[in-house]
Amino acid sequence: MRNPYEVLEIREGASEEEIKAAYKKLVRKYHPDQYANNPLSDLAEEKLKEINEAYDFLMKNKGNYNRNQESNNWSNQQYNNNNSSIYTQIRAYIERGNINQADQMLESITSRDAEWNYLKGIIFLRRGWYDMAYQHIQLAVNLDPYNTEYRTALNNLASRANAYRDIGTSRGYRKDPSFCEICQCLFCSDCLCECLGGDLIRCI
Amino acid sequence: MFGYVTPYKSELKVREYDMFKAYYCGLCKTLGKEFNHIVRFGLNYDLTFLALLLSSIEEEKEIITREGCIANPLKKKDIVNTNKSLIYASNISIILIYYKLLDNWKDEKSIKSLIAATPFLLPLKKANNAYNNKSLVIKDCLDKLTELEKNKCNRIDEAADTFGKLMEEISAPDYIEDNKTERILKWIGYNLGRWIYILDAFNDLEDDIKNKSYNPVLLQYNYNKDETVDNFKERIVASIEFSLTMSLEAISKSFEILNIRKNQGIIENIVYMGTRHKMEVILNKREVCKHAKSI
Repeated sequence: MRNPYEVLEIREGASEEEIKAAYKKLVRKYHPDQYANNPLSDLAEEKLKEINEAYDFLMKNKGNYNRNQESNNWSNQQYNNNNSSIYTQIRAYIERGNINQADQMLESITSRDAEWNYLKGIIFLRRGWYDMAYQHIQLAVNLDPYNTEYRTALNNLASRANAYRDIGTSRGYRKDPSFCEICQCLFCSDCLCECLGGDLIRCI
Repeated sequence: MFGYVTPYKSELKVREYDMFKAYYCGLCKTLGKEFNHIVRFGLNYDLTFLALLLSSIEEEKEIITREGCIANPLKKKDIVNTNKSLIYASNISIILIYYKLLDNWKDEKSIKSLIAATPFLLPLKKANNAYNNKSLVIKDCLDKLTELEKNKCNRIDEAADTFGKLMEEISAPDYIEDNKTERILKWIGYNLGRWIYILDAFNDLEDDIKNKSYNPVLLQYNYNKDETVDNFKERIVASIEFSLTMSLEAISKSFEILNIRKNQGIIENIVYMGTRHKMEVILNKREVCKHAKSI
């Protein structure tokens, strides 16, 4: 086992709070949702496992803790909604990573309903064809608006694109002040100035 | 279609900035040492990124020396000494640039390109010998791209897939033995290639309309002549941006599980900010920041 402090990216002898904070951050980072339909999801899972083990090790005898271990097995939750056995087979192929076989079977189906479009979208997603993936999953949602699985997949895409942007932003990308912030800054400066007896802007 | 992968300069630390430049100079020097001085003009940022990424997973620290160079003989600069990943990146540069120049010659009958390609002939032979399997795949992918253009492929994803496969191949050198690392590098490469291809296609819209050249973006979204370029761009920009952002997301997610040993800050800067900035500038979402123009 690797040094658990190293795994959690903290210094040795970090406090319980620090360990928890680091753990939470990492779990969020490698959460299965973040790697849904990513061909490297198994590697992310391994990483998460290592993080969980390191956390367990450090937290032993230190009271309760909540472990975030949702399954990313999207197909498991949904099998019961699905009567068509060919779709079940296709899902199994996708699950096992045999994308070509899944695609071939899908192509042989002539009636292209919501489920068909959804699975096609997932296959495109695994291949990195994000434009086609989005189109097909969107179509699946349009065809069957009440299906939560399709909707979740669509939302997951949008939220991942946002999550990517958030990381860059939190690291300082796009720090130019917005109009509101400029106003706020001027207003505060004016207040401070007035406190000291001066006046920065006469009208406020 | 090279030069899109650069850091976001305003958020780089000075030492990271120096290190990136040292890699850039290191690749240039390696090209000179391994081949000849003329091929050094083919230097580009995307392959610098590749060298940086590949060396970040190696145990050994890079050795940095201060040297002058032909472009600026008086000023000494930090330069990363030739190492495994720089040699690899320089060989791949040769193969790519040669075929790119040859392609220009075939497409546009550009004599300039034909002449420019000659100093690459001998180096190409050497690079081909050393990295024969990579060279074959590169050539194969480029041939496929030509084929797609001929058939007027109207799916952006499909056209970009071929260039993605090319980058996938070159992102994982044979000397990498760990299967997981190889998988991660390939997925980074695939998505990077895809991203570069689509961004480049978007960047070329005006020119391609004017010259009536092939462009999958025009075909997929049925550009018609009555539409102004700006209107067309406005109509499609959201979905292009989504697709490109997802590629960047995939790159960042792959990078997060890669076992990085050094230069994490620079690579993160490129993956989360540099590429995003480049994309937003080209999609006209953002003014070019004065400080972030080029390194």
